[in-house]
Amino acid sequence: MTALRAWLTDPNPASRRQARLGQLWLAWLRLRRNPLAMAGLVIVAALVAVAVLAPVLAPHDPLAQDLTRRLLPPGAPGHLLGTDEFGRDILSRILHGARITLYIVALVAVTAPVLGLLVGTVAGYFGGLVDQALMRVTDIFLAFPRLILALALVAVLGPGIFNAVLAIALTAWPPYARVARAETLTVRSADYIAAVRLQGAGSARIIWGHVVPMCLPSVIIRVTLDMAGVILIAAGLGFLGLGVQPPLPEWGLMIASGRKYLFEQWWVATMPGLAIFVVSLGFNLLGDGLRDVLDPRSAGR
Amino acid sequence: MSLIEIDNLSVTFRAKGRVVPAVREVSLKVEARESYGLVGESGSGKSTILRAICGLAPVSGGSIRIGGEPLPDPRGRAFSRRVQMVFQDPYSSLHPRHTLDRTLSEPLAIHGLGGADARVVQALADVGLPAKFRFRYPHQLSGGQRQRVAIARALMLEPEILLLDEPTSALDASIQAEVLNLLARLRAERGLTFLMVSHDLAVIDHMCDRVLVMQHGRAVEELAHADLAAARMTTAYARSLFDASADRMLDAAAAGARP
Repeated sequence: MTALRAWLTDPNPASRRQARLGQLWLAWLRLRRNPLAMAGLVIVAALVAVAVLAPVLAPHDPLAQDLTRRLLPPGAPGHLLGTDEFGRDILSRILHGARITLYIVALVAVTAPVLGLLVGTVAGYFGGLVDQALMRVTDIFLAFPRLILALALVAVLGPGIFNAVLAIALTAWPPYARVARAETLTVRSADYIAAVRLQGAGSARIIWGHVVPMCLPSVIIRVTLDMAGVILIAAGLGFLGLGVQPPLPEWGLMIASGRKYLFEQWWVATMPGLAIFVVSLGFNLLGDGLRDVLDPRSAGR
Repeated sequence: MSLIEIDNLSVTFRAKGRVVPAVREVSLKVEARESYGLVGESGSGKSTILRAICGLAPVSGGSIRIGGEPLPDPRGRAFSRRVQMVFQDPYSSLHPRHTLDRTLSEPLAIHGLGGADARVVQALADVGLPAKFRFRYPHQLSGGQRQRVAIARALMLEPEILLLDEPTSALDASIQAEVLNLLARLRAERGLTFLMVSHDLAVIDHMCDRVLVMQHGRAVEELAHADLAAARMTTAYARSLFDASADRMLDAAAAGARP
């Protein structure tokens, strides 16, 4: 352990990999000093663990119906969080629902920011007409409320988990494009960009190798903070019946099915709602912590 | 034929209806292996001339020729291998998220040159940095060390012309001398041609064979090193610049020769 730490904090790394890991280690040390961010990280890590281990952790099959045991309250024997209107175990459904939530979050997190980064850096780097055209497209996407636009896209593409992800990704990229463009504008006249241009580098190399690394921290922070919104939109689409389809245990869908019993059997809608709340909170706390660690304008440039 | 020939160069910046002439009809010639200085107060257009040579400033009139040939626009890779530049501020001229290894091997990758490992190690040695610095980030270096890295980067492509934009003005006095000596040594070893900008006549006096004094974007007076050292300038502006920095002239002979 001490050998590893010495290797990570070596002021004279022997390879690019060691240098990069050393920087990550320092960032981790800064993140660890922030208790709220660590709480967020624990929640997100728990989401991942639950998603991976769902079949092991869940006491029941999330799809198994038992109409003799429907709408049991929390604490009923064998059903810690109660059962829903088909007698399915709510705890098992929430645990399995973590997989769907994580699937959506992960897929959006690897698509929307990449598209936004690309559009933003290209617009910011070239400026002029390219900038005008790309940014007006971005403005058009930003002019719609996200949920409405996602609804329209799902309505065109048809309901389903993959189309929901696609709709969310297509509505989530414009803010990243804005962030990336703003960052690019501050970077593109820097001497280090002039230096690499003077060395004969092409635009693609400059944007990908020199501009994108400078935009990445702000975008990562933004992504983490947006994940709560993504979960909520996914749940909203599920709630409206346009996202994940029954009988899959998606949290928004579970809330929708519990709506009919909201006053008598409150737990059917409340338990998945709490799950959404906790996971969203986790991403928000983590995002705030990452901002302190990564944002070049605060400490640790 | 001189290596660098600049004829009646004018550079005009236009932004939002405002027109700012930064360089007005400046001509100069730099011979191969010569060290040529541009001196003047800030805003006199001396850095803009370097940027115009690199294609980083808009040329509105006149011509720039290197080796007798006009420069293509955009400058292209052949230009990169002949001319490189060292920027003024070593804190902003190195990419903050790239290791020195990445910074130094980037020009080799762009031009498809092999043997990056050996060349990077050699380049660090050439500018007097230990090889163990290779995978450090710029923020782990001092200002003087950063400027050495910037010089090493400029030399990676083995150019014949080095444009130096106030290469020491962001550094402490003691570090300044070190970097200037490094530049002088590299020039002697590699037969480089320098075109150097400074607001400090003492630095120019130490480094340059000839110097052009500039004011408000115009050339005021060209002086050979001997004339500068002996304070044989003919214009009032050049003399006032000389008087302002005479007490810091690096060689005693120059100070002794003052009238």
